[in-house]
Amino acid sequence: MIRRYALELITLIAVLAFIGIFLLVSSGGAHEFSGSDDMGSQKIAELTGVSVDSVKPLIPQYILPSGEIEATLFALQAAFGGLVLGIVFGYWLGQRKPAQNF
Amino acid sequence: MHIMEGFLPAGWCLLWWLIALPFILIGTLELRAIIRKDREYLPLLGVCSAFIFILSALKLPSVTGSCSHPTGTGLSTMCFGVFITSVIGGIVLLFQALLLAHGGLSTLGANMVSMAIGGPIAGYAIYRLLKNTTVNIYITVFLVTAVADLVTYIITSFELALAYPAQTGGVFTSFATFFAIFAVTQIPLAIVEACVLALVFKYIVNIKPEILEKLNVFSHDQIEKVRIIEEQVTPAEGS
Repeated sequence: MIRRYALELITLIAVLAFIGIFLLVSSGGAHEFSGSDDMGSQKIAELTGVSVDSVKPLIPQYILPSGEIEATLFALQAAFGGLVLGIVFGYWLGQRKPAQNF
Repeated sequence: MHIMEGFLPAGWCLLWWLIALPFILIGTLELRAIIRKDREYLPLLGVCSAFIFILSALKLPSVTGSCSHPTGTGLSTMCFGVFITSVIGGIVLLFQALLLAHGGLSTLGANMVSMAIGGPIAGYAIYRLLKNTTVNIYITVFLVTAVADLVTYIITSFELALAYPAQTGGVFTSFATFFAIFAVTQIPLAIVEACVLALVFKYIVNIKPEILEKLNVFSHDQIEKVRIIEEQVTPAEGS
C-alpha cells in the first residue's frame, strides 16, 4: 500500500515542507515576497546607478493597468493549461477498457 | 527568471536572439514533422505544454523572501527533446511578454535561452546520462526536472552578469549576486516541481505507457518495472 502510493506521499511531504518553510520565513521578519524578477531589476539599477523607474524599454511594451488584471491573465494561463491536462487525461482514460485501475 | 524589458543592453539582446532563433526554427520543423507522423503524439504534446503553461504562471514564495516561478520544461524535454521544448517555452514567454509585461520583446531572446533552451539542454543531458542505467525512472524524471528548472535561473544570472559586470570583481562577483537572487530562491521550488512532475509521469506510465515506449522515452522493460502490478495481472484489452 505505502509502496504503491510512495510518490504521492513524497510529493505531499514536499508540498507540506514547502508551506512550512514559507510560514517560517514569513513569520521570521519583514519580507515583501516581491518577484525575484523585480529583485533582479533592482540589482541592475544598483549596479548601473540608474533607477528602475527611469529604465526605458527598447521596444514599446503594453503595461497592464493594474495587478488585478495581471492576476486574471495569469489565472487564465493556468486555467488553459489545466483544461488541456484534464481533457488529455480524460481522453486517455476513456481509451482504456473498463475496470482498470491506475 | 524574466529579464524585464529595457534591462538588457541592445547588443546583448541581439546576441541572445541570434542564439535562440535556430532552436526555434529547428523546433518548429520538428514539431510539424512529429504531428504529421502520428496524431497519437498530440495529446502528450498537450500535457507537456500544459505543464509549462501552468507552472510558469505560478509565482511561489521561497526561502529568500521573494517569489519566483517554476518552469515545467522537464517533461517536454524528455518526451520531445530540446528543440520542441524551445518552441513551447517560447510561446509561453511571448504570451507573458506581450500581455503581462513579464520580460519584453527585446529580452525575449535572452529569456528563451535561459528557460526554453538552456534549462532543457541541461535536463536533456541528465536524461541521456541516466536513461540506460538501472536508476528508477521516477528518480530520472525528478532529476531532469529539477536540473532544467535550476539551470534556467543559473543562466539568467549568467546573462545578467555578462551584461552588468561588477566594478570590482567583474562578471564573477556580479554572477554571485544575481545567483543569490535567482538560483537560491529557486532551489525549493525546483524540488517541489520535480516531485509533482515525477508524480504526473507516474500517471502517464500507468495510463498510457504505449506512447512513452513509442517515443522511446524509456524502454519497455524500464516502464514495466515500475508499473503497478495489478495491470500486469489483467493486461490491457483491445488496444
